[in-house]
Amino acid sequence: MSTPARKRLMRDFKRLQQDPPAGISGAPQDNNIMFWNAVIFGPDDTPWDGGTFKLTLQFMEDYPNKPPTVRFVSRMFHPNIYADGSICLDILQNQWSPIYDVAAILTSIQSLLCDPNPNSPANSEAARMFSENKREYNRRVREIVEQSWTAD
Amino acid sequence: MQNQDGAVADREKESAVSIPISEVDDWANFADDDIMQQQSAIHAEEAKKIPFVGDKYLLCCNLTVLASYLLYAVTLFQGNSLSVVSLSNTNYPMPMKNGWTVFIIFAILITCGIEKFCYMELQEPLSMLAAEYESGSPILLEKIKVLDQQYAAIRRTRGDGNCFFRSFMFSYLEHILESQDRAEVDRIKGNVEECRKTLQSLGHTDFTFEDFFSLFLEQLECVLQGNEDSIRFSPFFSQDELILRSRDQSISDYVVMFFRFVTSGEIRKRSEFFEPFILGLTNATVEQFCKSSVEPMGEESDHVHITALSDALGVPIRVVYLDRSSCDIGGVSVNHHDFLPTSANKSNAKGGSTVPVKPFITLLYRPGHYDILYPK
Repeated sequence: MSTPARKRLMRDFKRLQQDPPAGISGAPQDNNIMFWNAVIFGPDDTPWDGGTFKLTLQFMEDYPNKPPTVRFVSRMFHPNIYADGSICLDILQNQWSPIYDVAAILTSIQSLLCDPNPNSPANSEAARMFSENKREYNRRVREIVEQSWTAD
Repeated sequence: MQNQDGAVADREKESAVSIPISEVDDWANFADDDIMQQQSAIHAEEAKKIPFVGDKYLLCCNLTVLASYLLYAVTLFQGNSLSVVSLSNTNYPMPMKNGWTVFIIFAILITCGIEKFCYMELQEPLSMLAAEYESGSPILLEKIKVLDQQYAAIRRTRGDGNCFFRSFMFSYLEHILESQDRAEVDRIKGNVEECRKTLQSLGHTDFTFEDFFSLFLEQLECVLQGNEDSIRFSPFFSQDELILRSRDQSISDYVVMFFRFVTSGEIRKRSEFFEPFILGLTNATVEQFCKSSVEPMGEESDHVHITALSDALGVPIRVVYLDRSSCDIGGVSVNHHDFLPTSANKSNAKGGSTVPVKPFITLLYRPGHYDILYPK
């Protein structure tokens, strides 16, 4: 069945294959264009460097009028990422616009890694550490990066 | 999101006019939420009171839905020869099922009432508006009297933050439907193509906006009668059909989003021009403003949005202000402002057709909300 959401997602996928932004990959799960797996690589020359972080994106039929539900599967330590992996990012909530495609969503999440928004903490420990003890924060991030290689 | 909308409404209220603090409480009357509540509350009454053509249809539609769910409800009570009336019988031995049925009926009624029927209301005489302010400010009542002399009717739109764009959509398509102005359609198509190029030059991926563009162009084709496409899509395109489309979320929201794309593109393209206005309004950069206040659905519109949309599409818009400003001694007057497309955009129009100076779209602005006005 081809709905506007599915048609749009096919184009999202095509774009991501033809013109993938650096450090990002994503694809629908077999037989289900509404459910995607994605990987974001930690940006170079940052504490996140070398990390491979897995995410899932769940789209509904009202996409692109409504944002997908995006969640990290890999364990994260970040001021704007909840313990369950869900992400506190404006464009995934009230600032969503159909102008964003999957590539843009993943790129925004990638830049959020190094550029947390301390005003909307989802992980208070990470938020506090980020502003008060950067050295310890970076150490914790490196731990997460290492875990991302081994975790299933 | 609701809270944020409220905050925006508050800000708009404050920026619209300077008023003595003692009156601030009364201004709650104008909040979007309030307008929404009023709308849904009076909807049932309206349907009975106003003898418009669309009215009968709506009531039928509502009753059909209601009837089908009552039928469903009855089948839930398998075999019990139960009349519809006994739904209200609280002694019925299957309270759970009873509860479910009532819940379902209410859910359907609420869905129909709010989701579908309030995007775009029926035309109403301005006396309906006066009734709303019966116990309100005498200045407003005076102003409504003045409006009543110039305008025949008002059509309300849902106060969901998209009211400006939705009012514009309906008003524009209705104008094309009534005037069958093919030259205007050709002209606006030229502007739409310009907008497409603008978005491309700003680095947007085509497929993120092309669905929205094609849906708007499709609506234009549909309202032009005698057009091959309009016959294919809908041989009897009427105002009722336009109302239905405006209430169909999958069409209405897409067209609203199309206007948001166009508005955002125009603001970004002429960011130097818009920057001072945006700074005055929100203290944000042009980029931030477009990202947070133009592109997301449900973000309310201000003069920046209206100017940008009017310029981009080359469509003049008149906004009539119903507020408590300018209550000088000796006669109450109602302010209006005409948003006329800039000359730069006129030259973009194909065929060199001149943009009419008198706007054919008139919107009524009450702080925080836009509705459509019909001149006499």
